[in-house]
Amino acid sequence: MTRRLLTLLFLFIAGPLAAADFAPLDRQAAKQLVNPATHRQPTIVALWSSDCNYCKKNLKLLSSLAKSNKNLRVITVAAEPESDPLWPMLKPYALGGPRYAYGTDNPEAIAYAIDPKWGGELPRTFLFDGRGGKAVVAGVISTETIAKATGLRF
Amino acid sequence: MKRIGSIGKGGNAIRSAMRGLALGLGLLASCAFAADGMPGMAKGGSRPELGSSAVFAADGSLFVAAKQGDHVMVYRSTDEGRSWSAPTAVNAQPEPISADGENRPKIAFAADGGLLVSWVHPFPKPNTGSVRFARSDDGLRFSPPVTVHQDAAIITHRFESMLTLPDNRVILAWIDKRDLESAKAAKKPYTGAAIYAAISNDGGRSFQPEYKLADQSCECCRVTSAIDRDGAPLFMWRHVYAPNERDHAITRLKPDGSAERVMRATFDRWKVDGCPHHGPSLVVDEKGIRHAVWFNQKDGEGRVFYGRLEFLADVKVDGQRTVGGPSASHADIAAAGGKLAIAWKEFDGERTQLRAMVSADGGHSFTDIALAATDGASDQPRVIRRKDQLFTFWRTEKEGFRVFPMP
Repeated sequence: MTRRLLTLLFLFIAGPLAAADFAPLDRQAAKQLVNPATHRQPTIVALWSSDCNYCKKNLKLLSSLAKSNKNLRVITVAAEPESDPLWPMLKPYALGGPRYAYGTDNPEAIAYAIDPKWGGELPRTFLFDGRGGKAVVAGVISTETIAKATGLRF
Repeated sequence: MKRIGSIGKGGNAIRSAMRGLALGLGLLASCAFAADGMPGMAKGGSRPELGSSAVFAADGSLFVAAKQGDHVMVYRSTDEGRSWSAPTAVNAQPEPISADGENRPKIAFAADGGLLVSWVHPFPKPNTGSVRFARSDDGLRFSPPVTVHQDAAIITHRFESMLTLPDNRVILAWIDKRDLESAKAAKKPYTGAAIYAAISNDGGRSFQPEYKLADQSCECCRVTSAIDRDGAPLFMWRHVYAPNERDHAITRLKPDGSAERVMRATFDRWKVDGCPHHGPSLVVDEKGIRHAVWFNQKDGEGRVFYGRLEFLADVKVDGQRTVGGPSASHADIAAAGGKLAIAWKEFDGERTQLRAMVSADGGHSFTDIALAATDGASDQPRVIRRKDQLFTFWRTEKEGFRVFPMP
């Protein structure tokens, strides 16, 4: 009886988490995400935040490039915990790939797992060619940079 | 972070309500826990909003301003942070408050003894907010909060710095996007944002209309302030130098409050079309030497730097050196009793370390000190002074408010 109640309570609480717009990122998941071996196709991991206006430029470009070349996979990481304004900010770009936001892990541990050399500046973009190649770009990115790093044509 | 307005928005309604319930349960659980915990420990919610400020009163007691829900609360300790009074709400009416990352409520004493608190009230539209302010004559009851600027547009007025002067003036300076917005409307280019300021001549009882200190500031880094050797107010912030070098700018204020001249204060030439989220800190010591700490990327590596700023025809940076290791971040600096102290955070691969270095020779040599570490989220450290003694104040998610006397 108690167990059934606990299960019900768990589902009740876990329900909204399961329906969240972003997958929570911890240090282990972050390490996986930036490991070139994880990516078997040209992939971009784009870090952004609600505070970062320059990130919008990158998301806009990635949105148009992902539309023009279906082989490009775009994963987004909000470098902050999920909050109400986050999804409405990302939704218009219609990026099909996985979406992450910082989970409950120490934010500095997540940042370190993503890139020990990262000082927190945004945007920060990781580019994978799907064959073990990896590049990192701080700030606004260009189509040429993405084409060169991913081996794709747009 | 729940807003009533978000509940009932079509398909989001059920999810919002469920999330609200989960948050409520979490709050209930953590309230029971918090009764035995230290003030400042995080309470529920997924977003740790730990941004806090601390200041010592003339009688030696410590005052902290921190966010709790939709209120800025003031906590008081008479034993250097070992125990805390029941908090006092600054804003009687609830309102949203920014207290994460580079945002935090500020706390200071006016020359006449009034306790002053400022904060940013964010609006639902991202990156917008207004600079709010309240004063208390007795440290317990606060005046109704006021917005210190007359501009009521829903735009950025954020990242304020509050400076109190011996003549009972209070100056707030913040990042303001009104010029960017009007340039956008006129389809003209405008790089970055602007710095605006508002002055009170009566210890914060009233403010003069705001005015511009500088164009082309960076958009979302905290602003810092200090009092120069001759009593002139000093403000320093991250700037955007053409084409996109995010070095720092500094200005002295004339007696009428206007900027003397805006000078480039650092020369690391970090070129990035991005948001560093990493503002500077500034202090002027008893001998009138200006000491600053800041974060920049130099030669491809992001580092915290220390340097002394000498004002010649231009600013000359003396004794520039790195602070801490490659992952050092968010340093703060203060001076008292012939000592200079810098505190910062540094992630060691497992935990966030709080480290400090102290100089007894005006910043020429330093002794490193390990102060503390935490497993969870943490605020930026603040170095504060009580007469001739320096302390580091640090709020962590797991341990709450912590106060460390500096050697």
